[in-house]
Parts: sequence; structure tokens; C-alpha cells
Amino acid sequence: MLRRWDDFDDTYALLNSFRRQVDRFVQDFETGVPAHGEGGPRLNLFDAGAALVLTADVPGMGEKDLNIDVTQDVFTLSGERKADAPEGYAPHRRERGRYRFSRSFSLPVRVDLERTTATVKDGVLTVTLPKAAEARPRQIAVRGA
Amino acid sequence: MADTNLERREGDPRAPAPRRRAVAPAVDVFENKDEYLILADVPGAARDRVNVHFEHGRLTLEAPREFTAPGPVLASEYAPADYHRSFALPQGVDAARIEAELVAGVLRIRLPKSDAVRPRRIAIKGG
Repeated sequence: MLRRWDDFDDTYALLNSFRRQVDRFVQDFETGVPAHGEGGPRLNLFDAGAALVLTADVPGMGEKDLNIDVTQDVFTLSGERKADAPEGYAPHRRERGRYRFSRSFSLPVRVDLERTTATVKDGVLTVTLPKAAEARPRQIAVRGA
Repeated sequence: MADTNLERREGDPRAPAPRRRAVAPAVDVFENKDEYLILADVPGAARDRVNVHFEHGRLTLEAPREFTAPGPVLASEYAPADYHRSFALPQGVDAARIEAELVAGVLRIRLPKSDAVRPRRIAIKGG
């Protein structure tokens, strides 16, 4: 008969918990950004040629919970993950963060705000920021003499 | 002899491909009188690829993560990885009625308790 959640995770509980901590420590050390908490979700930024593409893990958040703001070259992603703890349940373990965040960084090139799009699918935010005309890669034809 | 053997294996085309990187998703675990409830963050996992598996008293959740970089990386704070985590379940979980659903990158697994362990009020009859 189960008494505590600890009984649940018997043999590997300690090992798993230790492994998770080491994993997190290594990840945080590598990236300088904590996985959860105040910092908000982690971001990746790609150069897709004609556009910059930004991705972020935002599990449990929808379009309504996220705000994107671009002023000049500064990109700001803010949002809030609401608590989704069900009513009337006793918690055994809480690892998933509940947080409100705001992250800003400067974009490496000018972008076209009018054509910027953002989608959320399966808990992943993808923002496509088309580069401004002057920042787009351009092929220069070399003419023979 | 054994050492040589090991060294040779490096670069051996017959050696198994290195496993993809997997991370343990963060979970919340709740309980009420009827069931246990596990919430796991698995952003980027597609519903038809999530595998929730129950065998020998262990619940295992696995979800591969599809990811193709749209171009060269300018800044990277995380490397997408597959998800893998397993739990030993207490006795008294009705395995046949375990349900899982995936909404917005959050996997919600309900583990109903079997009738035998559910608390029950026993009516006291007067004599």
C-alpha cells in the first residue's frame, strides 16, 4: 500500500534525481541560462537566409499567454505560464515551473515587423522575422569584361 | 588483448549508432482519492509519436523530438532532445484504465486507482 510518493519511485529515485541535477547543472553551465524559473524559456535563434527564426519551448502556453514586442532592434518575449494544478489533488512532486517572464535581446539585423509571424505548436513557439530588405543576402553577379 | 579489442571498436562501421540524446522531462505528480495524475512537459513532441508504456509495474514515457534547424545557428540556449522517463507505480493502479493526452506540449497521464485501494465509506447500520 502506498503511503508516500517516495515509495513510488523506489530503487532508482535517488539515482534519477541525482542524474537530473547533474544534467541541469551541466546544461545551465553550458548555456548560462537556468532551465526554469525567473529566466523564462530558453531560446534558439537561426539564420534562415531571408529571415531570422526564433524558437522557444513554451509547454502549457498558448498564443494568449505570450507577448512579442519588437522595438527597433530589440526583441522582447514575455509571457506567463498559469498554474495548471488541478483542484482537489494533493501534490507529490512539483518540478514544472510556474512563472512569469520577460526576455529581451538585440537582433543582429534589421527585421521587417509588418511581415513577422509567430506560431505555437506542441508547446514550441516559432517566430519568423523576415529581414529588412537592406539586410537580406544578395547575390551579386560578376560580369565578364 | 581486451584493450586492443576496445580500441578497435572505435570507428568500426558495425558498431551500433550512438543513441540520440534523451532528457528526463520535468513532471508534476498529484493524487486524489480516485487517481494519480502525472503532468510532464514535452514541448516539441508530436502526439502520434508519444509512447506511454506500462509493464511490470513501471510506467515509461518516451517521446522522440523532431527538429530540423531552419538554418545556421546564431544563438543557442538549448539542444532539442528526445524525452524519456520512467516511474515505478504503486500497487493498486488500474493499468487497464490508464489514459494519456497531450495538449500544448504537456502530457497528462491519469492513473486511476483500482477499487481495492480506493477509500470507501462504510455505512454503520443501527441495531
